[in-house]
Amino acid sequence: MFGGIPISERILEAYIGEYASGKSEVAVNRAISLQRKGREVTIADLDLVEPFYTLRPIKKMLEQMGIRVVAWETGETLGLGETGSIMKPEMRWVLKRPGDVILDIGYGVEGAKVLNLIEGAAEEKQLKVFVVINVGRPLTATINDIVEYVRDLAPVHGLINNSHLGDDTTLEFIQEGAGVVTEAAKTLGLPVTATYMERRFEAALGGKFDNMGNYVQFLDRYMANTFW
Amino acid sequence: MSTVPQMPKSWRVESKPHKFCPGCGHGLVLKALGEAIDELGIQDKIVFGADIGCSLLAWDFFNVDTVQTHHGRTTPVVTGVKRANPDLICIAYMGDGGGYAIGSQHLVNAAARNERITAILVNNCNYAMTGGQMAPTTLPGMKTETTPYGRDVKEAGYPTQGPEMVAAITREGSYVARGTISNLKQLKSYIKKALENQMAGNGFSFIEALATCPTNWRTNAKDTWAFLEKEMTKYFNVGEIKNHAMKEGE
Amino acid sequence: MAEKPIQGEKRVFMTGNEVVAWAALAAKADIMYGYPITPQNEIMHYWTRMAPKYGKRFLQTEDELSAGFTTLGGVLAGRKAFTATAGPGNTLMQEPMSMAEMMRIPSVVVIQQRGGPSTATVIYSQQEVTMTTYGGNGEGFRIVYSTANHQELFDYTIKAFNTAWKYRFPTFVLGDGYQAKMRESLIIYDPEEKGVELVQTEPTLGREAVNGEKKPVHIRNTYNTEEELYEVVTRYMEEYMKYAPEIVEYREFDCEDADIVIVSHGVVSRAAKGAVQELRKEGLKVGYFRPVTLRPFPADQLKAVADNTMTLLLVESSLGQMAKLVKDAIFGSTVALATLFKPGVGITSEEIVAKVKGMF
Repeated sequence: MFGGIPISERILEAYIGEYASGKSEVAVNRAISLQRKGREVTIADLDLVEPFYTLRPIKKMLEQMGIRVVAWETGETLGLGETGSIMKPEMRWVLKRPGDVILDIGYGVEGAKVLNLIEGAAEEKQLKVFVVINVGRPLTATINDIVEYVRDLAPVHGLINNSHLGDDTTLEFIQEGAGVVTEAAKTLGLPVTATYMERRFEAALGGKFDNMGNYVQFLDRYMANTFW
Repeated sequence: MSTVPQMPKSWRVESKPHKFCPGCGHGLVLKALGEAIDELGIQDKIVFGADIGCSLLAWDFFNVDTVQTHHGRTTPVVTGVKRANPDLICIAYMGDGGGYAIGSQHLVNAAARNERITAILVNNCNYAMTGGQMAPTTLPGMKTETTPYGRDVKEAGYPTQGPEMVAAITREGSYVARGTISNLKQLKSYIKKALENQMAGNGFSFIEALATCPTNWRTNAKDTWAFLEKEMTKYFNVGEIKNHAMKEGE
Repeated sequence: MAEKPIQGEKRVFMTGNEVVAWAALAAKADIMYGYPITPQNEIMHYWTRMAPKYGKRFLQTEDELSAGFTTLGGVLAGRKAFTATAGPGNTLMQEPMSMAEMMRIPSVVVIQQRGGPSTATVIYSQQEVTMTTYGGNGEGFRIVYSTANHQELFDYTIKAFNTAWKYRFPTFVLGDGYQAKMRESLIIYDPEEKGVELVQTEPTLGREAVNGEKKPVHIRNTYNTEEELYEVVTRYMEEYMKYAPEIVEYREFDCEDADIVIVSHGVVSRAAKGAVQELRKEGLKVGYFRPVTLRPFPADQLKAVADNTMTLLLVESSLGQMAKLVKDAIFGSTVALATLFKPGVGITSEEIVAKVKGMF
């Protein structure tokens, strides 16, 4: 269902987006949903700007769920003040692993260019890049802002509406976000891959689509406790 | 240099594989330094100071006495050690921020006083460890986290040319050179001369090593080397700049 | 002319560092001087991204000494200038801030506390209270706001500019690594549209000529004799004490009949609030007191609470830095003091509840 890719082919996806757009949460949920379908999944932590809210604190939990995680152990990077924004060598070769690969790419002034650091990313035709957008983030709140932001990242295969306000999120806000993101996507000539929302909105939504007709994926929160 | 990759004896095996990113220049600079230490046989007399930033990942790198200091303060700590015990071979290891920004006053003054220490500065044009902010050696037009639209020389000046600055200050007995990880043999020879200069008690020795940071440059292998060899060399000349230790005719 | 960064008000989702950058924009700050240090780098990352759009300026200095002194220069030139730092950078910041104290320069500095001493951790602590409140040499006077959530980071960063420029004492917003990186929703707004008057700045250096005559200004921070210094310091002290009652801020609830009052500040006060509410539900008589201004400290108010209860439980992520301020404030009180100190480590409401239950 996801972007219409046949289930037999490898799923290679990179999740990029503005700082605190929720891309890690989306990436983790995606990896878990693939694993639950019986697929072999690797998720890679490519947050290279700040050492907070990375996959490190949930690495063990994800591994126990049967997902392979390419990330430092928090203990490995500690003991020395500023450490945290360094790349683990395995990350470079992550696309060479068998099975599906989900890349969680941190923000940064040239965030999407992180793909240059992954061997084979440029040549890999099956690698899909999704931009996660939260209209609650001031720099990606309007259609114009989003269009400008996404235009600077190339190439992108789809937008994901992950509009939320943390604990203060309402279904209304998510739907508003869907409107904005869908319009931006039309301008960019890109599909809206999905709208993500917390599972607690499932009953209120009463269906599988948002009010713009985009497919809805329900999120479980894993990243809230990954501060360090 | 051996053609079969070997770990220098002065390297600490327990801390390998090291934590530097794949493609990082530090690993190669430290290899050249390790081999120089081996060849000079001075492992037991070394005091190695590591600055804050990616330099601090060198903290447990060698089997030598090592002190991790504060940002920019490695030069004075190491100076203090050398002044108290001149028999030790003291190395201050830092990045472009630790040497040319917060540590610049210490570098300048150590040079002016001709401190008998060896400072090795790894230049990769950004503050890597903290996420890629502008550094004194960031190139014009380069995008960093604090120059999101590119370094504007009208606002932030041109990249600092550290060895040239140090060479303008030092007098007899100093050794100043700029090497590059793309010519490891040459870099090692410079490092060796710098250490020999200290061992002979001549004066201040300073090596800047041009290095790569693909993680923050966001470049693949090919573009990383191109940036090092073609772009950085537009602003940073490789070669010996001051060699007062050498007599005429050498 | 550059557009206004925030029009009206809206609810957004941000990290603490970003909130500071947006608040500074909302307060019409002109220029930021800064130097990289975790965990406050995003204040600069966002300021530099937004600066060109709104006609703002930025300088990355060579270190925090310079960031502090350049900020003073900007303020002396009559601009709303600010800087931000943490940990070892805060240590360096004390030298320029002592000059601000002596010369009454209205600087604004945001501190995102990290572990200490020295490099320690980049993560979190409440271990920079002593330094941020009393870090200069001599007796300098400063104003320090300790925020607990993103709405406050926004509100108090704007307020810091107003407070600094109105009373002319260096003013600090004391946050921490958790607040800097945590993600929360808040309402950002244009203060003037909300009826908050922004205090105008005026230059000390570089004033325009008046009626064709330029009167040069000479300012200094050095004195010749003990008596001169004594006169200046006591004059500043009297002025500070006169304004302190207007500046002091604190929050308290459930103290009237409390046997134990939990005293905490900053992000820890959130856990304390949760703990007090939980304990009260279970029928325990516990109260909450939170100084918002660590300087001037709400001494009279805390003394009144102390005189009306049996025990103050001091809870902080440090080895008693807030406790020192408390003891100074309530000197003479016979209240018992209990402590829950976790230097550099976060404190949960469950831990506070457990501690209090152990005390009954």
